[in-house]
Amino acid sequence: MRSKIILIVLISSLAIFAQNKKEAHPNLNGISCKTCHSCDIPTKENPCIKPCPRDKMVSINQSPEEGPNVLVIDKFKSQSNIYAPVVFSHRLHAEMSGMAGGCKMCHHYNPPGQVIGCSDCHELMRKRTDVSKPDLKGAYHRQCMQCHRSWSGKVDCVSCHEPNGTNQKNKEQAITEKSSKRIHPQVITPTVLKFDTPKAGGKIVTFYHSQHIDLFGLECQSCHSNESCAKCHIKEKPASLKAKTADQKHAVCSNCHDTKSNCNMCHSSTTKEGFNHKSRTGFDNSKFHASLSCSRCHLEKTKFTGLKGDCINCHGKWTQENFDHKKTGLAFDENHSGIECAECHQEKNYSNPVCKNCHEDKSYPKNVPGKLIKKK
Amino acid sequence: MANQSRRDFLKQAALVGTAVTGLSTKSKAAPKNSLSEDRMGVLVDTTVCIGCRKCEWACKTAHNLETPPLESYEDRSVFENRRRPDSKALTVVNEYQKNESEKIPINVKVQCMHCDHPACVSACIVGAFSKQENGSVIWDGDRCIGCRYCMVACPFQVPAFEFEKALKPDIKKCDFCFARTKDGQIPACTEICPVEAITYGRREDLVKAAHEKIKNYPHRYINRVFGESEVGGTSWLYLSSKEFEELEFPKLGKDPAPGVSEAIQHGIFAYFVPPVALYALLGGVMWINKNKKNDQETEI
Ligand code: SF4
Ligand code: SF4
Ligand code: SF4
Repeated sequence: MRSKIILIVLISSLAIFAQNKKEAHPNLNGISCKTCHSCDIPTKENPCIKPCPRDKMVSINQSPEEGPNVLVIDKFKSQSNIYAPVVFSHRLHAEMSGMAGGCKMCHHYNPPGQVIGCSDCHELMRKRTDVSKPDLKGAYHRQCMQCHRSWSGKVDCVSCHEPNGTNQKNKEQAITEKSSKRIHPQVITPTVLKFDTPKAGGKIVTFYHSQHIDLFGLECQSCHSNESCAKCHIKEKPASLKAKTADQKHAVCSNCHDTKSNCNMCHSSTTKEGFNHKSRTGFDNSKFHASLSCSRCHLEKTKFTGLKGDCINCHGKWTQENFDHKKTGLAFDENHSGIECAECHQEKNYSNPVCKNCHEDKSYPKNVPGKLIKKK
Repeated sequence: MANQSRRDFLKQAALVGTAVTGLSTKSKAAPKNSLSEDRMGVLVDTTVCIGCRKCEWACKTAHNLETPPLESYEDRSVFENRRRPDSKALTVVNEYQKNESEKIPINVKVQCMHCDHPACVSACIVGAFSKQENGSVIWDGDRCIGCRYCMVACPFQVPAFEFEKALKPDIKKCDFCFARTKDGQIPACTEICPVEAITYGRREDLVKAAHEKIKNYPHRYINRVFGESEVGGTSWLYLSSKEFEELEFPKLGKDPAPGVSEAIQHGIFAYFVPPVALYALLGGVMWINKNKKNDQETEI
């Protein structure tokens, strides 16, 4: 009896917990609690948050306007006697990070709700017992230096800090003014890019950048993740591409494409045409499916194979009852309105209808089993 | 263990020797090499260090060494030469350029590693070096006779001799900021580091944190924590993105027996028979010389 009660209590507490999760993190339905919490039942008092494996952590994106414009980072005021607090143009930086990874470039642990700032997790005191994550000063500087160092090659403090004793108010005003005017320009996405490669017999790779976004539904970060400012704001061009191995050069493409055996898919001696559903797959989607996004039929993200043009994959089995033939631009006459689809459509994609099953002397499209109307 | 007793034997030999020559000596026993579970350490993450050299500045300031102004540390031309810690700088940061395609260089801070089984302690015949409970390996100027065995013994070539000082030259090396840590402060270099590339904490916790990092970021780090087991373990531990030997770390075994010092001592035994008398004489003479310049220190 007692064990039953315990069981019931346990089950109901788990149920309550599951419900609480929905309340605490309404947007985290697909994510297992174990991603962030180490114990079975995290509570407010003891959330048992795991040591932070940055890139596996949940992060929610917000738009730059939602964050503060300018922040004065003065948490260390009492500790430092060398430099004055940094006036940080938060919004400008948020805009800059937009293409490379958004908020999570810095706010790497960021469950829904209010954005979590650095000081929510990183301790203010360097002398501490938990050494699994850097202290606050370290955390701040690591974020800054990661980009600033690769971009300018410089690590000097005075790029961001004023020496102690300078008039902070002036600086703050100046930066606020500056960053309200100078906004990072919208990143312009190219339509098509042509790469000259050293590959014999296939020197040219024509890359339809806009199709990858608009048709295949890739996000900027799918390819440009963790790119720092230096990617565009490069001071001197490195001889980097030459030094890269073939694997490194193909790394981004091979996320989706087989780059090991299928060279001709991208490499050619001439400029290639962009993606065309009919010529690539044999299924002409321009007649009835032109306005659909790829994902309406290709349900698995970034996988576009396997449908083979079979209508049944998406539509189920059509019958006279469930298919309105008028949509195709043909309204049957009385004689034809009751017959099975397969009497005329012998191919599985319902193309090239035939009449010969009943009428030896007739053929489509010379003869029409009804009236041609405007497509619906 | 054998090592330990040999060291003790040598210490006693030196003490007996000095007594034989009729000189006063300290009666204090040398501190034991006690490895506390709570001994401290530093985890150096070379993938995080930005080579700002603030640690060099802070170290000098904390040790009252001649310190150039802070701004002068922005000069990166010092990285053109490989530097070693010396009597004027107890720690230095070097820079290793990766290949062309990777633009960010690797910076490596160098100082005494504060070995768990320090060769310098073993080598010192008068017990001037000692391993402290908090992990620090420190040097006692009053005992040192200037023989410089420690310099030869150290597998990291850390102890430096003040060659430029004719009178009372000292052995200089990073002392893990012993004076500061005794006061409850953390070492000066670990306090100033802007990115906390050097994390001060319990050695045990640091080893755990280091392996956690390697597990979480297998692409960022090679699977090795330098100092975890090298020469029997060191208090300063390093993480790196490439093999440590490429960053000019010495290639060392896991054997805590400090091979170099053993060689010296064996050498001494081979050439000087009987060694005790000679130690006594040499040690005694040097000790007198040293104490002459130091007569405010009254001994028994
Ligand atoms: S202060 Fe820190 S980041 Fe700067 S050189 Fe020293 S260890 Fe590296
Ligand atoms: S690194 Fe050298 S000087 Fe430092 S403790 Fe080890 S043996 Fe002694
Ligand atoms: S621990 Fe102290 S003595 Fe050693 S390098 Fe750091 S600041 Fe210098």
